[in-house]
Amino acid sequence: MARPAILRNWFLIRRDLPQGRRLALTVVSFLLPVVLWCVVSYVPWIWHPDVKIELSAEREGVTTVFTAGDHVSRGFFPEFVEAVRAENVAVLAAKAAGNPASGAKRKNQKLLRQLAPVAVEHGWLKYDDAQNDAVLYHLWRDLATGAKTSVKPVLSGENLDIIRQNWALLSSLSPDFSFRSLPDEPLLKIVPQGKPANPVYLPAPHEVIRAGMRDFSAEVPDGELTMGDRYRKSLRVIFMGFLWACVVGIPLGILCGVFDFFSKLFEPFVDFFRYMPAPTFSTLLVAVLLAGDAPKVALVFIGTVFQMVLVVSKTTRLLDPSLLEAAQTLGAKPRQMITRVVIPGILPNLYNDLRILLGWAWTWLVIAELIGVKSGLTEFIETQGRFRNFDRVFPVIILIGVTGFVMDQLLSWLHGLLFPWAGTAGALSRGVARVVTWPFRTTAAAIYGRLAAIEAARLAATRQKSP
Amino acid sequence: MSTLELPSYRDQSPEIAARFARLQQRPVALQVRGLTKKFETPRGVVTALDDVSFSVHKRELMCVIGPSGCGKSTLVRILAGLETPSSGEVRVYGEPVSGPGSDRGMVFQGYTLFPWLSVKENVMFGPRMAGKSTSTAASEAREWIDLVGLSKFENAYPHQLSGGMKQRVAIARALANQPRVLFMDEPFGALDAQTRCKMQSYLLDIWKNVDITIVFITHDLDEAVFLSDRILVLDANPGRVSELVEVPVPRPRSEAQLFDPTFMATRKHIDHMMHPPGQGQKETPVLRLAVSDPDVV
Repeated sequence: MARPAILRNWFLIRRDLPQGRRLALTVVSFLLPVVLWCVVSYVPWIWHPDVKIELSAEREGVTTVFTAGDHVSRGFFPEFVEAVRAENVAVLAAKAAGNPASGAKRKNQKLLRQLAPVAVEHGWLKYDDAQNDAVLYHLWRDLATGAKTSVKPVLSGENLDIIRQNWALLSSLSPDFSFRSLPDEPLLKIVPQGKPANPVYLPAPHEVIRAGMRDFSAEVPDGELTMGDRYRKSLRVIFMGFLWACVVGIPLGILCGVFDFFSKLFEPFVDFFRYMPAPTFSTLLVAVLLAGDAPKVALVFIGTVFQMVLVVSKTTRLLDPSLLEAAQTLGAKPRQMITRVVIPGILPNLYNDLRILLGWAWTWLVIAELIGVKSGLTEFIETQGRFRNFDRVFPVIILIGVTGFVMDQLLSWLHGLLFPWAGTAGALSRGVARVVTWPFRTTAAAIYGRLAAIEAARLAATRQKSP
Repeated sequence: MSTLELPSYRDQSPEIAARFARLQQRPVALQVRGLTKKFETPRGVVTALDDVSFSVHKRELMCVIGPSGCGKSTLVRILAGLETPSSGEVRVYGEPVSGPGSDRGMVFQGYTLFPWLSVKENVMFGPRMAGKSTSTAASEAREWIDLVGLSKFENAYPHQLSGGMKQRVAIARALANQPRVLFMDEPFGALDAQTRCKMQSYLLDIWKNVDITIVFITHDLDEAVFLSDRILVLDANPGRVSELVEVPVPRPRSEAQLFDPTFMATRKHIDHMMHPPGQGQKETPVLRLAVSDPDVV
């Protein structure tokens, strides 16, 4: 039986797919998680284990207070609503029995503020002015009379009814807010309203994008860091740490790879040391190097350099030894064998090693920035994470990922450009290499031509002299 | 089947005899005396070469042939200075050899071109190591590249060349140092049969034009007889000199000589030395076949 076309076209055992299909799959590999995230966030009946409270109420004798924006579990929310309804029923029952409770002025003032989230959401009140009772008092009136209508959230019929009943009582005492003329008997509580939501640690894509745009374009007061500053600071820590690791690790690695002497002298200890996690040295580093960037750079250095020595020495040992023998038979001395054969020979592999090690250095970023005085992007992640503002945390995490990924792709593309002889270059990078190196090549050719002409003239002169 | 009557390989025509007499009078380029190489292995000491002595005269082309494991490669590596003998000595024009040097060139089976250098830069490597200026080295390199017929490819990288071209570059690179002796360790072993034939003719052309003594390691009988003045036949386990055969085939050599009686006699003699008749000739067991096909037998 023939295999179906889709299997024949897409699922080939150990065979590369055509270029177009590979590209499509690459795009899909990024699209897939995003689509999954959107589905989980926007399809209400998938997951959504929480209720995000839009209108809240305090309960009598319960100290836990939920405010608008809080998440409660889906199971608990009806219980919460029923408790508030029961209190309203009790208030109405007492009133009907003719002996309403009294001394509720303070409570009623708080109760009026139940509508504050609605006012803020619609822009009728500023966020930091949410306790402006005079405005809120009129909001009760406007909602009761229908002069204003709330759309975020749409008020339930039950709540509109409560608002009208309360307003009837309030308006009979005073048209404007004054604490004195608040009713003495308790008002009815607005019944909590909410919408299904995912847990606070998984904000929806649009929330993350909005928070990210706000944070990355935010103006900050003097002395504080913008997101760009933090980003630059983080990058500096990584690159300085990596640079120092290269300065120490590459020569040491090459020496270990070339001379058994250095290999046996250094590698056993390096091999031992790399198993001690770099963060365990954090307090020590802060004690020695004090606060500031130095201990952070040192942490990235420690976390990278030991791996680097081992990887570079391995790469050096992988160089075809017959190339060294060939160089020897061509008269190369030991120093020339290192500078003319070993180093150029391992460069492409060394470059790839460094690419991977740079990724390794990236993984130390967060830990490095946590030690001593918190700094950079990590400080932001830490602070916002503590406030559970995960919509502001995600953009930073994604930024770190994108930076690492883009850098790696760029470096990988540059590989073909830098090492055309390795034969891995695509047509594009070969073309770019031609263009980039053109001035150097032409200059070199011109100089060489001159030298050759001088040499030829000299030879001709000596030849004329000799006979 | 009729048997072809072959002359003995020892029957030399007067011209050939005179030729070898002249060869013997030339100065000795390479002298090997009592060369022994022992390797320490976990199973005990293995003798790779046992008391090997011979000498190669100036401008001679000598092939070293022998069954696998006879220490051909070890021998040439010692001659090039890449390994040290357990005892014995090697002299090049009277000077003892210690370690590799530019006076002895080497062409390896695996090409060993520097992949990061272009063809021209590869050939320039030796002269540059000797301290010549870039421009002198480059103009010298051009001549050698021209000699092996790769002028069009002087700026190509090794990965862009075919096997035969790579080996021509390797020969040019070794010659650019103007070594006094050139060692070639099965240089054409990795090439296909046709390219190998062509490369053998190339090598003879180069050898004719360049003042050089060549020691050529091979396991290919035809190659050895086609190229050499004399053939050093080694025994295996341990590697010992079995015989130094003087090849009675006149020069210049051409492919037509492959069927020359002298060629075939020499070939047969060495073949018998390496694979004595009646030894190791096992009857192929008859397998149970589904169909017996008379045409196959």
